[in-house]
Order: sequence, then C-alpha cells, then structure tokens
Amino acid sequence: MATFHLKVLTAERSFFEGDVERLIVRTTEGDVGILPRHINYVAALGVGGMTITEGGKSRLAAVSGGFVEVSPEGTTVLARTCEWADEIDVNRAHAAEERAKRLLENKEDKKQQELAEARLKKAINRIRIAQK
Amino acid sequence: MASGNMKDIKRRIKSVQSTMQITKAMELVASSKLRRAKERVQQSRPYFNAIYDAITRISAKSRENSVYGRHPVVKNSLFIVIAGDRGLAGGFNSNVLKLAGTEMEGKNVKVLTIGKKSQEHFSKRGYSSIGDYPGLAETLRIAETHEIVDQFLEMYRKQEIDEIFLCYTEFVSPLTQEARCIQLLPSDFKKPEAETGKKPAATEYDPSPEAVFEAIIPEYLYGVLYGAVVESFASEQSARRMAMESASDNAGEMIENLNLSYNRARQAAITQEITEIVAGSGQVGS
Repeated sequence: MATFHLKVLTAERSFFEGDVERLIVRTTEGDVGILPRHINYVAALGVGGMTITEGGKSRLAAVSGGFVEVSPEGTTVLARTCEWADEIDVNRAHAAEERAKRLLENKEDKKQQELAEARLKKAINRIRIAQK
Repeated sequence: MASGNMKDIKRRIKSVQSTMQITKAMELVASSKLRRAKERVQQSRPYFNAIYDAITRISAKSRENSVYGRHPVVKNSLFIVIAGDRGLAGGFNSNVLKLAGTEMEGKNVKVLTIGKKSQEHFSKRGYSSIGDYPGLAETLRIAETHEIVDQFLEMYRKQEIDEIFLCYTEFVSPLTQEARCIQLLPSDFKKPEAETGKKPAATEYDPSPEAVFEAIIPEYLYGVLYGAVVESFASEQSARRMAMESASDNAGEMIENLNLSYNRARQAAITQEITEIVAGSGQVGS
C-alpha cells in the first residue's frame, strides 16, 4: 500500500516519525483524513484525537492545539501537546477535570473561566481517548 | 618571625583549597545540568525549525490584514530578556543584558524578564515591567509559556505595544554562546531563496490563510519562547562550567605557588635554627 512520510513534533520531543498509510487529525473545522498524494494543505488543530495507521495497524493519540502541514516532501504535525492513548495518566486527567469544573463555578473572572474551559476540554479529551 | 610567616601561608593554602572545592563542585553540577539541558535543546530544535519554515511560507500569503500585522506608529516596544537565575557564570548574564541595553536605546521600552538576574537588573534601573518570571528556566514546560505569550499577545492586539523583541543567548556549542536579539512582532519573515524563483505550489488552507495564520502565530511564539529559554539555560550552564573550570585551574596554580613559598619559608627556618645551634655550640666549646 502507498505510504507517505509523517513527522509529529512537539516542542519537548520528537513524537513520531515514519512512513504511514493514513493520518486522521481533528482540525478547528472538524476531523480530516490525510492519505498519500494529498494536495498541499495547512490547517490549525483543535483539541481531539489523532489516528496514525502504519503497516495496517492504527494507533490513537490525544492532541491539543498546533497545526498540520502537508507538502510534497511529507506531512508534519506540530502539536502543542501530544500523547499516545496508552501513555495518558487517566487519574491525572480526572483530577484536572474536577479542578477545571470547580474553577468554572467561580463566575467572576472571565479570563480564568476561559482558561478553565480550555483545560476542561483537554481533560475530557484525554479521558475519552484513553478509554477508546 | 619565620614561623609566623609559615602559619600565614598555611592559612592561605587552606582557604584557597576550600574555595577550590566549591568551584570544583559547581563545575560538576553545571556539567551534569548542561548534559540534560543540551538534550532538551536538541529535542526542541526540530519543532522550532519546522514551525519557522511553515510560518515563513504562510506569512508570504496572509500578512496584510492580520491583527498581528505591523502597527502604523511605533510608540512602545516590549523587550523580553532572558538571563540566568544565578551569577558566577562568566560573562553570561552581563553579555545578554548589555546587548539588550544597546538594542533598547532610543526606544520607549517595557520589559518582560525571565530569570532572576534579568529581573534585578531592570528593576534596579527603573524600567517598567509587565511581568517577571524568575526561577522558571530549569523546569520549563511548554504549557508555562502559554501564559506568558498570551499576556503580551493580548497587549499587542490592543495596540498597547507595537514591537516585540526577544533577547536570549544562543547555545552554539559548549564552548561558544552568543547573545542575540530578534524581533518577534511584527513578524519579519524572509522568503527562502529557493522559493523566490519558481511559483510556490498551490496550497489549501482550512478554513482560510488568514485564519490559519492567526492560529499559528501564537503556536510559533510559544515555540520560540520555549526554544529561547531552553537555549539560554544550556548556555548558562556551559558558561558556568567554563568559568568554574578556569577558577579551579587558577586555584590549583595558586596552591602550587603557595606550597613553594611555604617550603622555602620552612627551609629558611630550619637553616636559621641550625646556624643558631652551631654558633651556640661553638661558643660553649671554646
């Protein structure tokens, strides 16, 4: 099967590099699947899952923020945070969810609330991915 | 008189030795920290290079109407200055602070400091600071840069500041570190040479080039700030390692010299004693 070169990078480490058959990522506009010979493409990423299919096997990871770029030389995902489903610390994610919910109840500080909302979204995403 | 001199020398040797112990220990600590810091630098570089490439390509398309575009009049400049948390690192802190000082000349400056030395330097000189972040370099995680970046990006969007500069120290090699000052906003990305000749391939932006550009600018700045802090920290450690290495070498040399004078003084004392005894016995005998 045809493959394309994929690099997934975060500021803290090089997360994944290899030839893959398919990549599915959640952009700000919704899930996008990328197959070999895709047109040049750039999109910002939202908070969601990323599925990499390599050698017929799929692996799932949780991604929040960043962007994806497809060019003839290869596809690059630059993620703000990124972790494999089996790497996720579910207890920590649950704790973060609780904390964010408590922060949301405090309605005074608008900026704090936005922050808490983003955190809540990320925590829920992590839990969802880990349980798949 | 001779024995008093000997005692002095002995005391000095002791004090130099204990100083040398300290500098040796600091050297070892710095080199182990340096190893870890170097790893972090190497891991962050691919991300930084990739994001820089991407933003260069995209900004060629969608720069004009962005909220991150150029402001018509430049009134206030923000300088983000990254220095160390501790001294005794050779010229590390003073180099970057000096460079920041020259770049600031003739501008209406606000600062954002990272590192205790940077904070102390600018608060002593009465600069107005929009944020101080001491003691964060060693364990910085990318999530912590979000808060810092969001803070000054919002000020930029509200036109409270019109230019943003970043002063940091680039880790070129363990032997060379270079203080640098770069302009973050308004972004000034040069087109790569290869692209100017041929027409760039059509690229689809989802949902639009402008929206993508605006989403990527913060990502880019998180990456740059993270990279700069990590580079500066590695530079600090390697500068300290070098400074401490030469301090230990100097101390060793000093101890050698002191030992020599100590032995000379001891020899002189013995010779004098013998002379006295011989003179004394000669008088008794006659």
